[in-house]
Amino acid sequence: MTHFLIRRIFWAIFLFLVATIITYLIFFVIPADPAALAAGKAPTPQDVARVRHLMHLDLPIYQQYWLFLWNLIRHGSLGHSFVNRQSVRYLVGEDAPVTASLVFGGAVFWLSLSIPVGILSALRPRSLLDRIAMLFVLVGISAHPVWIGLILSYVFGYKLGITPIAGYCNFFPGTPGAQCSGPIQWAYHLILPWITFMVLFAALYVRLIRANVMETMSEDYVRTARAKGAGERRVMVQHVLRNSMLPVVTILGMDIGLALGGAIFTETVFNLPGLGNNLVSAANADDLPLVVGIVVFATLAVIVFNFLVDVAYAFLDPRIRLS
Amino acid sequence: MALLEVKDLRTSFRTDDGVVKAVSGVDFALERGQTLGVVGESGSGKSVTFLTLMGLVDPRHAMVSGSVLFDGEEILGAKTSRLREIRGARIGMIFQDPMTSLNPVKRIGWQLEEAVLLHNDVTRSEARKRAVEILKQVEIPRADQRIDDYPHQFSGGMRQRVMIAMALINNPEILIADEPTTALDVTTQAQILRLMKRLQDEFQMAIVMITHDLGVVAELADDVLVMYGGRVVEQASVDDLFAKPEMPYTWGLLGSLPRLNLIAARLEQIPGQPPSLLHPPSGCAFHPRCEFVMDVCRQELPELRPALGDETHRFRCHLDDEARARIWDAKRAKLVTEDVAA
Amino acid sequence: MRRKHMLSLFMLVMGVALLVAATTVAVATSATSHTATAAKASAKRGGVLRVNQSGTDFDTVDPGLAYVTNDWALLYTTQVLLVNYPEKNGQAGGQLYPEGATSFPIVSNNGKTYTFHIRPGLKFSDGTPVTAAAWQRAWERNLSPKMGSPMGVNDQFQKVIVGAEAFNNGKASRISGISAHGLTLVFHLTKPNPTFTSYLAMQWFGAVKPNMPYTTQGLNVYPSAGPYYIASREPNRTTVLKRNPYYHGSRPANPDQIVITSNTDVNQSLLQVKAGQADLDMGGVPSTAAASLGQQYGVNKGRFHVGSTSCVDYLLLNTVRAPTNNVAVRKALNWGIDRPALLRILGKYAGQRSDQILVPGVPGYRPYKIYAWSGANVAKAKAVGGSALKSAGTFNVLHTPTPARTAQAQVVEYNLQKLGLKYNDVPTPGTTYYNTLETKGTSYNIARAGWCADYFDPFDYINVLLDGRSIQQTNNVDMAYLNSPALNKQMDQAAALSGRARANAYAKLDLEVMQKYAPWVPFMIDNTRYLTSSRVSNWVYSTYFGEPDLNALAVG
Repeated sequence: MTHFLIRRIFWAIFLFLVATIITYLIFFVIPADPAALAAGKAPTPQDVARVRHLMHLDLPIYQQYWLFLWNLIRHGSLGHSFVNRQSVRYLVGEDAPVTASLVFGGAVFWLSLSIPVGILSALRPRSLLDRIAMLFVLVGISAHPVWIGLILSYVFGYKLGITPIAGYCNFFPGTPGAQCSGPIQWAYHLILPWITFMVLFAALYVRLIRANVMETMSEDYVRTARAKGAGERRVMVQHVLRNSMLPVVTILGMDIGLALGGAIFTETVFNLPGLGNNLVSAANADDLPLVVGIVVFATLAVIVFNFLVDVAYAFLDPRIRLS
Repeated sequence: MALLEVKDLRTSFRTDDGVVKAVSGVDFALERGQTLGVVGESGSGKSVTFLTLMGLVDPRHAMVSGSVLFDGEEILGAKTSRLREIRGARIGMIFQDPMTSLNPVKRIGWQLEEAVLLHNDVTRSEARKRAVEILKQVEIPRADQRIDDYPHQFSGGMRQRVMIAMALINNPEILIADEPTTALDVTTQAQILRLMKRLQDEFQMAIVMITHDLGVVAELADDVLVMYGGRVVEQASVDDLFAKPEMPYTWGLLGSLPRLNLIAARLEQIPGQPPSLLHPPSGCAFHPRCEFVMDVCRQELPELRPALGDETHRFRCHLDDEARARIWDAKRAKLVTEDVAA
Repeated sequence: MRRKHMLSLFMLVMGVALLVAATTVAVATSATSHTATAAKASAKRGGVLRVNQSGTDFDTVDPGLAYVTNDWALLYTTQVLLVNYPEKNGQAGGQLYPEGATSFPIVSNNGKTYTFHIRPGLKFSDGTPVTAAAWQRAWERNLSPKMGSPMGVNDQFQKVIVGAEAFNNGKASRISGISAHGLTLVFHLTKPNPTFTSYLAMQWFGAVKPNMPYTTQGLNVYPSAGPYYIASREPNRTTVLKRNPYYHGSRPANPDQIVITSNTDVNQSLLQVKAGQADLDMGGVPSTAAASLGQQYGVNKGRFHVGSTSCVDYLLLNTVRAPTNNVAVRKALNWGIDRPALLRILGKYAGQRSDQILVPGVPGYRPYKIYAWSGANVAKAKAVGGSALKSAGTFNVLHTPTPARTAQAQVVEYNLQKLGLKYNDVPTPGTTYYNTLETKGTSYNIARAGWCADYFDPFDYINVLLDGRSIQQTNNVDMAYLNSPALNKQMDQAAALSGRARANAYAKLDLEVMQKYAPWVPFMIDNTRYLTSSRVSNWVYSTYFGEPDLNALAVG
C-alpha cells in the first residue's frame, strides 16, 4: 500500500509539471503582449520595456517558468493578475469555494438521482421506467449545459419567477453589502445551476450504474448467494450493490476533470464567480498568471481527488488493499 | 420413494432471437446417498436441468414445465420463499469456477456465516464456530485464521473447498456439483474428488456430479445420465455404461476418452458441432453427427427404451439391438480396455 | 482613450438617442426630456441600487492605477476632482466646473504656473479633512515607480510637470513642481499646456489621503472624499459603494448603497433587469435586443435609454501603403463606402452617422456632412478617385473574427467590389489586431478602429491621433501613419490657443483634415443603450463615460 501511495505521489508531481508547462507554452505561442496592454495609452517602447521588466516578461520562458515554480514552492505564491494586479492565490481562493459548491453539490444531486434510477432500471429492463430513464439519458448526454441552463433560467427564473435568474450568494453570511448570504440563499441560488450541471452526469451515471448492476447481477457469486437461499433484497444489498458501485468510485475520479470543465458553462450562464467563469475572462484578457493559477489549482484538485478516489477504491476493494 | 424424482422437465428461454429449448423432457430419480453422474457437452442441458430444479433460472425469460418431487414435495413452480428454504439448507449447489463464485469483497467467514444464518436462528458467533468447523472438514489448514481472509487470498483448489464447505454447512441432503473440478489442475482435481467422496460418507448425502469428464464419472458415480441436445440419451449404472454403452453418442464419448495405457492410439473425436437449441435438428438431435444415421433418424425422435435384458439401462436410438451390438464390438476391439482400477 | 479591445461588448455604445436629427443640438434637446439638472440631491434618496457589469470587472479601483472607462465611471462617484464634469444630461454634462477647487486655476508665468485654492470643509469618508496635499499625493501615486501606474509609465504625463520625470525615475522623493500648503495648490509646468486643466478632470487626479500608500497591487478599499466611498470589493465579483457620511457637497448621492456585480452575462442580465432582480447593466443590452426594447419601452421615455458618447468609430486608412497612400483614393473611399450599412450591423440605435473626427461635446465640434451620407455614392467615388482609383492595387482589409466586425468588413469589401477594386480579407485575432495596426510598416490598408475621449478636448482626438511625429516602431497611436509637416504645424498652432480661439481653430482643422487628407473613413459616433428596472428614476447620463452617473440614479 505504501508503495502504491509513493508511486501515486510521484505521478502527481509529474502531471502537475506537465500541465503547468503546457499552459505556459500556450501563452508564449499567442502573440499578444500583456506588457503593451498594461502600459496604457500611447506608450513609448521604453515605457513598454519598463512594464515588461516589472512583470518579468523580459526573461526567457524557462526562467519565467522557473520563477513561477520557485514562487509557488517557496512562497506558495502564484503571482499577480496582469489585469487587476491582485494576488492570484487570493483570487483562486475566492473562486474555488464557488466551484466546489457547484461541483460537489451537483455531485450529490446526480448521485442521488442516478443510483436509484440506475438500479431500478437494471432490475426492470425494458419496463416503462427503464425506457423513460434511457430517454432522459439520451437528452442529458446530448443537450449542452449552456442550452439547458438558459432554458431553465428563462422558464423558472424569468417567466415563472420561482428561482433567481442568476447570481451567487456566499454560504457564510457577513460579506458587507452582499445582496444575499447564508445557507438558504446559497442553496436557493444554486438550485438551477445544480440541475443544469448534474443533468449530463446523471445521464452518464444512470447508464453506467444500470450496466454495472445488470452485469453484477449475472455474476457467479450472485448465483451462489441465491443458491444459498438468499432472497432478492439481500442479494441486491449485500452482494450486488457494493460490487457494482466500485467502478462508479473510479469513474468519479475521472469525472472530476470533466466536471471542472462542465462547470465553466454552468458558471457562465448563471453568473457564478467560480474558477470556470474566471478562467474564461482571464483567457480572453491574456491574463497569464490567473490562467496558470487556475490551471494549477484545477490540476492539483484533479490530482488530489483522483488520489483520494484511488485510496478509497483500494480501501473498498480488498483485492487491492491486501495485495 | 426416491429423494428426488424428476419427470418430463422442460425449460425454454425466451431470447431476442427466439425460443431456446434448453431442456426438452428429462426424467430421472435420485436416491438418498446415491451419486448420480450427469455427462454431456456444453449446451446439452445438463446444468440448466439442475438450475431449473433449484429455481435459479430467471422467471422473466424461462418457461418451465414438468414435475420435480423433492422428498415427496413438488418444488417446481413452488413459491420462492419455499424454494429459498430448501436452497442452501437441504439442497446445496456448487459451481464450476471458484474464482468467480465467491463474493470478492466479503470475507469467506462472512459468506459462510451467511449460509448458516439464512437457515438457522443462531447467533453470529455460533455461526462462526460452525464455519470454522466446516472449513476444517474440507481440509483448509489453519481454518480459524483463514476464516477472516478474502477469496482472492486462496488458491483455486482452496476456493473450491470453501465453496464445498459453504454448500455443506447446513448438512444438506443433496449436493449438486456443476463441473466442480473443471477449472482446477489434475492434482487438485483428484484431491477435491477424494474430499467429496469422504464428505459424502460423513454427511450421508446424495451427490449429483455434472461433468463432461467421463473420468470423474467413473471415479465417483453410481449411476450416469448422458445428456445431449436437452434430453437424456442414455442412462445406466456406471459399470454398465462403461461396459456396454448402447448408443452412438456414448460410443463417441468413450472413444474420445484418453487412456494412459494406450500406445499410439488416436483419440476419436466426435465430428461436428453440438446442436443449436434455437433451431434443433428434426428427429434425433444427434443425427447430423452420427456415422450410422438412417432416414428415420432425421424424421422421428427415438424414444428412451430399455436395453436388452436390463430395465435400468435406457437409451435413445433407432438402430436395432443387433446392429448396435455389432458396432460396439467392432469399436471395442479397437480400444485397449483394462480395468480402470483407482 | 482607446477602448479595451475585447470589451467591445462593454463599450458597445449603441442606439440612436435621436432618431430624427444628426446634429449634436438635436442630441442635446431630445435628451432634455429627462430634464434632470440634478445639481441638488433630490428627495428620492435611499434604497440599494443593484448594478450588473456584464462581461468585465473593474481592472482596479485604485485611482493611481485605474485606466479603463468603467473604472473611471466608478471613481467618478467616489472622488472629488479639482475640476469635474457635472451630473447633467446632454452638452451640459461636458462642461467642466470647479469642484475641489474654489474656481478655475489662476494661470501665470506665461502659462506655466497653475494655482488652485481648495474648497474648505471637504472631508474624506473617514472624517479627515481634505487639503491641497491630497492632490499632490494623487500625482505622486500616479508617477511613482513604486506603483507602476499606466499613467506614470507614459511619457505624455511624465514630462508635463517640473520634476515629474526625475520622480518617476526614482531620482527624487517628491515631485518638485507641485507645492501644496494648507489649502493652496500650485503646479509648475515644464512648458505651457492649455490642456492641463482638462487633464485634472481625469480620475487619476482625485483627492486621496496624503498617507495613502504605494502598492503595485492597488488598494481595493480606502477613504475617499466624493459622494460615495468603496465599502467593500471582491475582485471579479462584487463592489459595494456606500454613501459618504461626510460629504456635504452639491453632487447627488441618491442611493444609500450601490452594489455592483461584475462579470455577469449580458443576456441573463437583461432578464434580471426586466424581472426587477437587478436595476441596470453597465454593460448595456445585447445588441440584438435593442430593437424590441425600443419598441416595448420607447426610446428615452422611461426605462430604455439611448445615449451618445465621446467615441468615434472609423475605418483607418493606411496613408503610407498603396493603394491607400493616394489621397484621391482615400477620398473616393469616403464616397464609396456605405455608412448606414456599417451602422445597421450593430443593431438598432447603435450610433449616429458621422464623417468627421470630432464628436459632439468636444469644443470645436461642428457637425458637417462632406462625404457620402445615406449610402455609397459609386459615381461620385469614381469621379473623385479618377485614374488613381482605376489603377489601384489590392486593398488589405483587416478585421477581428467576431460576427459584427466580420460583417462590417464584408460591407466594405462589397463597396470595394462595386468600385471595381480588389481586396484581401484578413481576419486577425483580437489579441493581435491592435498590435498589427500599431506596428510601423504594417500591411493593412483598411481596418476598423475606435477612439473615445480621455478628456473633452479636441487635442485628444486630432493631435493625439494624427500627429505624425509620434510615430515610432511599435505601439503607435497614429495608426493611419499620417505625417504631414504642414498639418503638424497647424495642430501645434491650434494646441497653443485657448478658449473660443481654440475651438474655432479645431473646428477648422476637423473639416480640413477630412477634406484634404482623409486619413480615415469615420462612420459612426457610438451610442450606449441601457435598460433600467422599473424602480429607477432620475436618469442622468454622461456622454464622457458613456455611462449613467450612478450617484444620481434614484431607487428610493
